[in-house]
Amino acid sequence: MRTKLVCSRLGTLAACLLLIAATSPASAQIKLGFQAPLTGPAATDGKSAKIAADMAVEKINAAGVLGQKIELITYDDQAKTEEAVFTANKLAGQDGVKFAVSGSYSASGRAAAPIFQQAGVPFISAYGVHPDITRAGNDVFRGVHLGPPQGRAAAKFIGDNLGLKRVSIVTMDNDYGQATLEGFKSAVDQFGIKVLGEYSYSLKDRQFGSIVASVKRDNPDVVYVTGYFFTAAPLVTQLRSAGIQAPIVGSQAFDAQKLIEIAGSAVEGVYIVGGLNRDRDMPELKEYLAQFQKRAGYAGENVGATVYSAVRLMADAITRAGTPDPAKARDALAATKNFPHLAGELVSFNPLREINMPMNVNVVKDGQFRHYAWIDDLKLLAPPTE
Amino acid sequence: MAYYIDLAFNGLVFGCMYALMAVGLTLVYGLLRILHIAHAAVYAFGAYITVIVANATGSIAIGILAAIAACTLLGMAIYRLLYEPLLDYPPYVAMIASIGLLVVMEDGFRIAFGEQGLTFARNPYPTQLHDIAGLTVNTVQIAIIALSTICLVLLALFTTRTRIGIGWRATVSDPRIATSFGVDAIKVRYLNFAIGSALAALGGALIALLNNFVEPTMGFVVSYKALAIIVLGGLGSLQGTLIASLALGLTESYGTIFVGRFLDRDAIAFLFLIAVLLIRPQGLAGARTA
Repeated sequence: MRTKLVCSRLGTLAACLLLIAATSPASAQIKLGFQAPLTGPAATDGKSAKIAADMAVEKINAAGVLGQKIELITYDDQAKTEEAVFTANKLAGQDGVKFAVSGSYSASGRAAAPIFQQAGVPFISAYGVHPDITRAGNDVFRGVHLGPPQGRAAAKFIGDNLGLKRVSIVTMDNDYGQATLEGFKSAVDQFGIKVLGEYSYSLKDRQFGSIVASVKRDNPDVVYVTGYFFTAAPLVTQLRSAGIQAPIVGSQAFDAQKLIEIAGSAVEGVYIVGGLNRDRDMPELKEYLAQFQKRAGYAGENVGATVYSAVRLMADAITRAGTPDPAKARDALAATKNFPHLAGELVSFNPLREINMPMNVNVVKDGQFRHYAWIDDLKLLAPPTE
Repeated sequence: MAYYIDLAFNGLVFGCMYALMAVGLTLVYGLLRILHIAHAAVYAFGAYITVIVANATGSIAIGILAAIAACTLLGMAIYRLLYEPLLDYPPYVAMIASIGLLVVMEDGFRIAFGEQGLTFARNPYPTQLHDIAGLTVNTVQIAIIALSTICLVLLALFTTRTRIGIGWRATVSDPRIATSFGVDAIKVRYLNFAIGSALAALGGALIALLNNFVEPTMGFVVSYKALAIIVLGGLGSLQGTLIASLALGLTESYGTIFVGRFLDRDAIAFLFLIAVLLIRPQGLAGARTA
């Protein structure tokens, strides 16, 4: 009897506490769904993404959003389509999140986007570059430059900034490489560039002897290369080993500390169009890079920076909307003006919810990625609108 | 013209690498009729050991020797622990076990040494350039050609000139008769895995030096290419394997440039395989068929 009474009193107490917790504005939560490839081949980027998202949430919660706190609900999507669909449904259904960010690759962002669109959940793909992601509908946004603007920026950088005209192109034969190449080729005439040779390789390749021999025969003023650090490092080393001295201009995905670690002095002087400007005079970026290094044990890169900014941007939109209502926050997100993205000033979103943002160019100097130039011709960088 | 010689030289380097890798596969297939897919993991293991030991001791030579020693033991252990218990089953059982081991080892590298792979702390060789008759080549490329030639010549001498080698060849062609002549078939099997794995270790070490980079999945691409090579060479034929390795290296080298825009490099390799098998179903050497 006595035990029963105690239990029932405890029960009432617990119920009261829950009620208080649920109604008290100070501890109310805004649920933010988050997907990242925490295991599998993309786990390195997944780890960076998760650390960056946690850092962003902590930063946001230090001040609060409309007096509430963000609760990050994370699922591992393994960068796979089927996992992304499964976890997106879980987030939108079971967990009832009102907002979502993808810290994962194109394939999973593309699979998750229609699910969040259907559920009316505003969704930002932080760094997925497949053009179809934002085509899922008006709830879907992207926080990174697409391939074609990256390619056009590279053409301008080579033709205008470096003033070089005769170029050999080496691209990876995936969607991103092809899209970037299309952008580059669409702008060659505008900048008076002549393409001497165009070669492609598969992401599995590490030996580029034939391509290197061909570039050598072209004898170009500059070599434009798209690739990830694990292809770029051997490729650049092999180009230099063959005695090719021409400047090398690389794509965004070169921008990983591992590139410098593998290729060492061979990547000195390589330019990277779309890399993260670590020298920017922005206290939040400096704090982010220092914190990231401490938590991850390696230097902060583009992936983490875009994820951090995507989470911050979502909270910013909710604040601007003045309500955690997803529809209103979506409108505020679409109306974003001059948001301080870690990768540059996010001027606005275009009608397809793609970013209008200047692009940074880095150069590898003394084993570090250093800022070299901004490509800020937003008309040239204009993303597709449909 | 210099350009075509350049391409040929690159093809030769690819070919030598493939040969180091494929010889081990051919040896195992010839003796046990097992497709030893996990050989690719031995190769990756060799690459990792080279980098780790070289970074720890400061000497790349010690790294390579350690890799050869470790892989020799690993190869023999794979035979003893994985294949020997499965010898009474059809060969595909051992092959499936072998694929399983490759997957486990790849993930093992990932878990033990990290997703991003490893790099030599100091490796000046890939950027040391030499001018040989107008060709610019680096030290590692020369080492690949020289070392693989030396190893394969030694292997040929060993199998034709020494008692153990002759016993080995006898076991490959007819285990029962060889045994009745006093050849220890079990020792031959260990020898087989030891030599094949040592060559794979050398291949892994040289590729690690050339790329200045080892990564968990580095064995995978080589694994199916080496399979293509041994089929091309006429399963189990050592001579055929060497010819096929060089032929594939050259085909890839020229193919990347002339059809690379339509076909990726691996597709070129398999197209070549199909083309050869259509004309010569018994493989390039064609001494024996499976």
